[in-house]
Amino acid sequence: MITMNKVSKHYGAFQVLSDCTTQVHKGEVIVVCGPSGSGKSTLIKCVNGLEPFQSGEIIVNGVSVGDPKTDLSKLRSTVGMVFQNFELFPHMSIIDNLAIAQIKVLHRGQEQAHEKGFKLLDRVGLRAQAQKYPGQLSGGQQQRVAIARALAMDPICMLFDEPTSALDPEMVNEVLDVMTELAQEGMTMMCVTHEMGFAKRVASRVIFMDQGRIVEDDSKEAFFERARSERAQQFLAKILHH
Amino acid sequence: MYDFDWSSVPNALPFLWDGMKISLEITVSAVLFGIVWGTLLALMRLSSVRFLSWFAAGYVNLFRAVPLVMVLLWFFLIVPHLLESIFGFPRGTDMRLSSAIAGFALFEAAYYSEIIRAGIQSVPKGQMAAASALGMTYGQAMRLVVLPQAFRNMVPLLLTQGIILFQDTSLVYVSALADFFGAAYKVGDRDGRLVELLLFAGAVYFVICFTASRIVRHYQSKLRTA
Repeated sequence: MITMNKVSKHYGAFQVLSDCTTQVHKGEVIVVCGPSGSGKSTLIKCVNGLEPFQSGEIIVNGVSVGDPKTDLSKLRSTVGMVFQNFELFPHMSIIDNLAIAQIKVLHRGQEQAHEKGFKLLDRVGLRAQAQKYPGQLSGGQQQRVAIARALAMDPICMLFDEPTSALDPEMVNEVLDVMTELAQEGMTMMCVTHEMGFAKRVASRVIFMDQGRIVEDDSKEAFFERARSERAQQFLAKILHH
Repeated sequence: MYDFDWSSVPNALPFLWDGMKISLEITVSAVLFGIVWGTLLALMRLSSVRFLSWFAAGYVNLFRAVPLVMVLLWFFLIVPHLLESIFGFPRGTDMRLSSAIAGFALFEAAYYSEIIRAGIQSVPKGQMAAASALGMTYGQAMRLVVLPQAFRNMVPLLLTQGIILFQDTSLVYVSALADFFGAAYKVGDRDGRLVELLLFAGAVYFVICFTASRIVRHYQSKLRTA
């Protein structure tokens, strides 16, 4: 479903991504981890063209992201994305946050869009908050709304960019629960996260990045039990023993 | 001691009111046009198309570096002739009001565009990213997500600029247009009661602008708590 072939990106002389190659198949859940500054967020933002890249190619569902002829807006409407800072639209009510892109991008009717929105809010347990504004919700609730907003577009896959990093510890699980459920239903997902418990529970594969390179790309069993690179072993030692 | 005589004020009120209507007409049209044109300039300035951002930067710098009264004179002296020759208006058509409105609007747009540009930049970048990620085009994301938030933050500044503009409308006296200030000046000059009329006009400007800025202040504090 997602194929990356030798993707590279640099800002001036600084190499952010070098020759990143991997595939994500339908129904797979890929966890991308690595030290900060390793390029993992940049990598998943390249998948829906939010970050441009200079060389290599990314094919999402048969469409080349880097091709100037590609209608990026159309491609993005089929790829859901959840951000570290939620990025709900603060001037709209929760239900409008879920409905706006359905109406303006997919041209669904207001009623249909709201119905879909309510159904998804039900699913993330926030139906009662539909008329409130994002500022009135806790971080965990906002992130669940953001996931529902992405799902409202009926995406073929979902990208998560550190979805729990900005949350207070007691709210992390409510978001991870929603993501776990999604994974178990067979959604194709690519998640940048440090939540190794989540990775162990649902990941099909783990990608470990360092200095813009994909250093490990292996099944979760292989990654957690016998990571080959020294850098990955150090990383795991640091985050698993707390 | 100067002997005040206010008797010519009451009789002049209808004439002064006509002048006030002209002042308000110039203010309202220049604010509306200035915001629309200013928004376009701000978008051009922020655009990645070089030519557009250069044009907008040049426009803003030009208009911010010349005195308003000079712009008004250009428009009063040059533009009517231009329009006459382009559209074939009969010579001597009174275009003082429309050229004054055009001058103010184009001048104020430069200031509005800077306010609006700051407003757009005050909206976190992630909002644009989130809107794009949902499949919105650049135009949809701007119109539905970024600009509404930008304007919400900017309303106090835009209104304050509008109050300044209202005061500045008095400068149209250079084209002998009878706005409120011009009307007061004419009556005072005619009756030999210039001091009284100008004091009265000053008091009216003060009451209007002071009240308006208190309202803006009130709105601003409500915005902050919201």
